[in-house]
Amino acid sequence: MGMTVSPDSQKAAAEALVAAASGIDGVDAEVAERSSGTNPRYVVVANASPGSWRTLAEKLYSEHAVDHCSMVTGIHWPEGDAERKWEVVYHLMRTGVRDPPNENGIVRPVIVNPSKARGASMPLELEIHVHLPDSTTPSVDSVQDIWVGADWNEKETWDLVGIDFDGHQGMRRVLQPHETPKGYHPLQKQHHLRYHGFVEMYDDAQGFMRKPADVGKIK
Amino acid sequence: MAEMWISMGPQHPMTHGLWTLKVKVDGETVVDTEPDLGYIHRGVEKICESRDFTQITTYCDRLCYASANTWSHAYIYAAEDLLEVEVPERAEYIRLVAIELQRVASHLMWLGAYGPDIGNLSVMVWCLREREMMMDLLQELGGSRMHYNFPRIGGVKRDLPYGFAQRARAKLKLFLNRIQEYEALFDESTVFLVRSQGVGYAKPEEMVNHGVTGPNLRAGGVNYDIRWAHPYSVYSELDWAPPVERSSIKGADCYDRYRVRVEEMRVSASLVLQALDKMPGGADTYHEPEDPMILAKAPSRAPEGTTGAHHFEDSRGESMFYIAGGGEGRGKQPYRVSIRSPMFITIPYAAKCMIGYKVADIPAIMGSFDPCIGETDR
Amino acid sequence: MTSSDWLDVAGWSESFSNWSMDNVHDVLPSGDIDMQVTIPSTWAWPEPITMGPIFNMQSGFASIQPALESFMHATIMCTVVFGMMMTTMLAIPYIERKFIGRLMDRLGATTTLRSLWVGESGVTAGEWWNQLPFGMGAPIGWVVNALNSTWGNSHELETVARVNNRSYHGYWFLLPGFFQAFADFMKFATKEHIVPKNADKVVFEVAPVIILATTIMVFAFVPFGPHIYAANPELSLLFMMAIFGIAPLGVFFAGWASNNKYTLIGGMRSAAQLTAYEIPLLITVLGVAVLSGSFNIIEIVDFQMGQDEGNVWNIFLMPLGALLFLVTMIAEVERIPFDMPEAEAELVEGWWTEYGGIRWGLMFAAEYMRSYAACILFALFFLGGWEAPFQHTLSNLPAVGGIFSTVFSVIPGLIWVLLKAWLLFAVFVWIRASLHRVRTDQILEFGWRYLLPLSMLNLVIATILRLQFWTGGPWDLWVPAAVTLVSGGLFVILAIDEDEEALEIQRRPYSTQAVVKASPGSHRK
Repeated sequence: MGMTVSPDSQKAAAEALVAAASGIDGVDAEVAERSSGTNPRYVVVANASPGSWRTLAEKLYSEHAVDHCSMVTGIHWPEGDAERKWEVVYHLMRTGVRDPPNENGIVRPVIVNPSKARGASMPLELEIHVHLPDSTTPSVDSVQDIWVGADWNEKETWDLVGIDFDGHQGMRRVLQPHETPKGYHPLQKQHHLRYHGFVEMYDDAQGFMRKPADVGKIK
Repeated sequence: MAEMWISMGPQHPMTHGLWTLKVKVDGETVVDTEPDLGYIHRGVEKICESRDFTQITTYCDRLCYASANTWSHAYIYAAEDLLEVEVPERAEYIRLVAIELQRVASHLMWLGAYGPDIGNLSVMVWCLREREMMMDLLQELGGSRMHYNFPRIGGVKRDLPYGFAQRARAKLKLFLNRIQEYEALFDESTVFLVRSQGVGYAKPEEMVNHGVTGPNLRAGGVNYDIRWAHPYSVYSELDWAPPVERSSIKGADCYDRYRVRVEEMRVSASLVLQALDKMPGGADTYHEPEDPMILAKAPSRAPEGTTGAHHFEDSRGESMFYIAGGGEGRGKQPYRVSIRSPMFITIPYAAKCMIGYKVADIPAIMGSFDPCIGETDR
Repeated sequence: MTSSDWLDVAGWSESFSNWSMDNVHDVLPSGDIDMQVTIPSTWAWPEPITMGPIFNMQSGFASIQPALESFMHATIMCTVVFGMMMTTMLAIPYIERKFIGRLMDRLGATTTLRSLWVGESGVTAGEWWNQLPFGMGAPIGWVVNALNSTWGNSHELETVARVNNRSYHGYWFLLPGFFQAFADFMKFATKEHIVPKNADKVVFEVAPVIILATTIMVFAFVPFGPHIYAANPELSLLFMMAIFGIAPLGVFFAGWASNNKYTLIGGMRSAAQLTAYEIPLLITVLGVAVLSGSFNIIEIVDFQMGQDEGNVWNIFLMPLGALLFLVTMIAEVERIPFDMPEAEAELVEGWWTEYGGIRWGLMFAAEYMRSYAACILFALFFLGGWEAPFQHTLSNLPAVGGIFSTVFSVIPGLIWVLLKAWLLFAVFVWIRASLHRVRTDQILEFGWRYLLPLSMLNLVIATILRLQFWTGGPWDLWVPAAVTLVSGGLFVILAIDEDEEALEIQRRPYSTQAVVKASPGSHRK
C-alpha cells in the first residue's frame, strides 16, 4: 500500500499544536475533523483576535515549524455582528521540509517516510480566522516578513477585498489594472455582478438592435 | 552599456500565457525583475458567489485550461468537505484515473512548450502528439477535449466507458516507450545540459517559505507531496512514491525541475494502470450515471457558518479551495469561494530566481517552473 | 590540368560575346569619316584652323571592343549564375520543409491530402460517399478502401494509430509543397512596409541592402561547375570570404536602427557571434587553401580531382577541418543551434523584428542564400566539387571503366555540385531539428576557446601534410586512410561519455555552476 501519513498521528500532532496555541491570549484553537472524500483529516482551526494575530504567527513559525503560508482570504460580512464585519482567513501548513544535507559535495535527497513522520516533520494544516470590526479601512498585521508566501496573497486580498495589511512593503494592485480607482475592491458585497438585474442596452443577444429607449447612448 | 528595462510581454512567445515580465538588464545580465499579472483576471471568485455548487465546477475547469481535471477535482473535494458528503470508492478510483491522466497531459504540454523555449522545435510536436493520446482518453471520460466538467459532488459524472481500460493500457504502454525518446533528445544532449544546469537555483527551505510547492519543490531534493501528506482520494491504497531529484549544492536548477516532471509522468502513468487494476467492481463493468456506485446523494445547501477547505496536489504545486457557505438562495450558493493558485505564488519567486543570470536564461528558467496564467489570474 | 566538362557556359558566353562584337565590328563602316571643320583665315588669325576628328568607326570600335566583350560576357555570366543560383535554391526551403516535417512528424501537405481517403487512423468520418444519391458513391468507396489498404496507417488499436503515424508515405509525396516558396514570396511582396517611428531611417533602409548585396556577391565567386562562374580571379577564395564577412555589419545596423531594445540585443548578439566565428572559419579555409596549394576555388577543386595532383577529396585529408567548417558555417548563417540572435523564445524575431514585407522576405532569403553558399563551399572545398564519387577509380576499372567514363562525361559537373550541396543542407536541417539553442555567452566561449585552437591545429596539420607528405603527385593512399581512421577514432572515443567516474570529475567546459552535473546517460541509473 502507498505510504501516506496516518490520520491518527496527524490528529495527535494537531492536538499538541492546539494545546500550545491556546496558551496565547486572544486565541481560541481546536482540532476539527474534516473529510477528504473517503479519508478523514484533522485540521487545527483557530480564531485569533486582531491584536494577538502577530504573536500567534511568530510563535507558530518559530516554535512549531509552520513554514508555509498557503492562502490568505479576505471576506466581507456586511450583515455580520459589529465585531465581525470583516474576516481574514489564513491557511498555513507545516510541511516539514528541510534543505537536503550536503555530504562531500554531493547532496543527499531527503525522502520522508510518511508513516514515520514525527514531531516537527509531521505535516499539518492550520486555518486561522481573524475577525475585524466594522471599518471603512479594515486592516490586520502583515506577516510578509515571516512567510514570504504571504506577500502576494496579501496584495491580492487588498486588491480584491480591500483589507489592508500593516507593515506590508510594496502594496499594489496585482490582479486588477494598476490604474483601478482607489477604494474599488470588487469582492465587497455592495458590488454586484452584472448578472443580477442588469438591463441590457440591446434587444438581441448579439448586440445589433438597440432597445428603443437606448438609441443614441454610448455603450 | 547602461541598464535598461525590457518588457517581455504581454505579447511574447516565451511567456506561456498572458503576463508581463519587466526585466532590468545590464548588457546581457538580469539585474532586477518585476512580474505583472492580472491580464486575464476573469473574476472567478466573484462569479462563484452567484452560482450553485454544481455550476461552479465548470468555472474551475477553466482556471488552468491545460490541467482542467486537477482544478475541478480540487474544487469538488472542498465542496464535499463543506457539504459533508461521503464519496463511493469506485468514484474515487475513477477520479484518480482522471486526475493522473490529466497530470500526464499537463506535463506533456509543459515539455512541449519547454523544448522550443530552449531551442528544440521537434520535441514540441512529439509531445503534442503523445498528448493527443491522453486527450483521446480524457475525451472518452469527460466528453470534451479540454474542459470536462467531470466530477460531481459525491462522485463522478459517469463511469468508465466500455473498453476504456483496454485503450488506456495500450496508450500508456506506448507512451512509456515514447518517454525514452524525449529523454534521449534532452538528457543525451550536451547543449541542453549546458543550457539548463547551473541555471535558476532554488533551495527547498527558501521555496517553502516563498510558498512554492509541487514538482518545483521536489526538484530541490525533498519529497513533499500533498498526496501523501494530507491524503485524499485513494492514494493511500496504491503503491507509488513521488519522484525527487538529487539537486546540486546550490539548489534545484532547471535540469532538476525538468527531470522531476519526466519522472512524474511515469509515476502518474503507473498510478493509472494500478487504479484500473484495482478498481472496485472491475474496470470493465459499466454503471449508469447516478448509480450509487459512482455518485452519492449530496445536499445542495450549505448553511451559514459552515466552511470547507481542501489542499490538492495540482500539476504545478499545491492548490486549495476555501468555501464559506451560506450565500444566496438560503445557502444554495456559496458566500465566498477563495482559490489558491500555485502559480500565482511561484511566478514572483521564479522572477526572483532569474536575477544574476543572462537574458537568454529567462525562458529556460521561466519555462522550467511551468507557468500557467489561467490559474494565476483566475 | 584543369578539369572541364561539356557544359562550358563560360566558354559559350565568351564566344558568343566575341562573335557578337565581331559582327558589330564588321557591320560598322570601315571608311574614315572626315568631320573636320576648317575655319578659313581671317584678319584675326591668318592661318586656317582645322578642328574636329577624323572618325573611323571601325577602328574606334576595335579599340573598345575587348572591354565591351568582357562586359557583355560578365553580364551574361552574372545573369546566368544568379539565375541558376536562385533556381537551384528553390530546393533549399523545400528540403528544409519536407525533411523537418518528417523529423517532427508533422502532417504536411501530403499527409493532409492523403487524409482525404485515409481519414483518421484508417477510419474516415462517416463514409461520406455513401450519402450521395443513387449509390453514386460506391466506386469512391472502392477506391478509398484500395488506397487505404496500400498506403494507409495500420495499428491493431485504431486510436493509437493516430499517433503512430510514422509510416513511409510513398514516393509521390514529394510534389505538394513545391510551390510554397512562390506563395511565400508573393505574400512578402504584398505586405506593408512599416518603419518604426523613431528609427534611424537611413540606416534602417541601408541595412537590408548591405546584407542582401553582400550575400549575392558571394555567389559571384562560387563556381557551380568547371565553367560556370561569374568571376574567377586568382584569389577568389580571399575575395569571397571577405565579402561573406561584411553581412554581420548589416545585421548590426538592422538591429540598432530599429529603435527597439530587443533588436538591439539581437543585433549585438549577432555581431559578437559572427565575429567570433569568422576567425576559426577563416583559419580553417586557410588550411584548405594551404593543403590545396591555391587561393582559387577552381584550382582547389582541381587539386582534389586531378589524377596527377591530388585525387583525394579533402575531407579525407582534413576531417577536422571539414567538421570545423561545418560548425563555423552553421554559426555564420545563424541556424540552430546557434540562432540565439533571432531566438523566438526571447527576442521574438531578434534583429529583424521590425522589418516587414519584402525587406524581411529578402533578408530571410538571404539567410537561406548564405546557408546555400555554405553548403556549396563545403562541397567544393571538401567533397571534391564537381567530381563524381570514385570517378577516377571507376573510370579506370578494367572492363567497365569505359562505360563509367562515358556516363561521367555526359553528366555535367554542375549536377554533382548541387547534389552534394543539397545533401549537406539536409545535414544542416537534421542538426536544426535535433539540437537545442546554445546560449550566447556559451556560443562565444565555444568559438573562442575551442574552435579557434582547433582551427589552428587544423592549419598545422594541413601544413604538415602539404610539406611532408605530399610528393607532388597523387597522395599515397595510406595518408588519407591514416588521417581518416585516426580522426574517426578520436572522435568516437571523445564523444562517448559512458565512464561514470570520469564524468564525475570531468570539468564541464561552459559557464555552469552546478557541482553535481548530469551527463549524457546519467539518468539511466
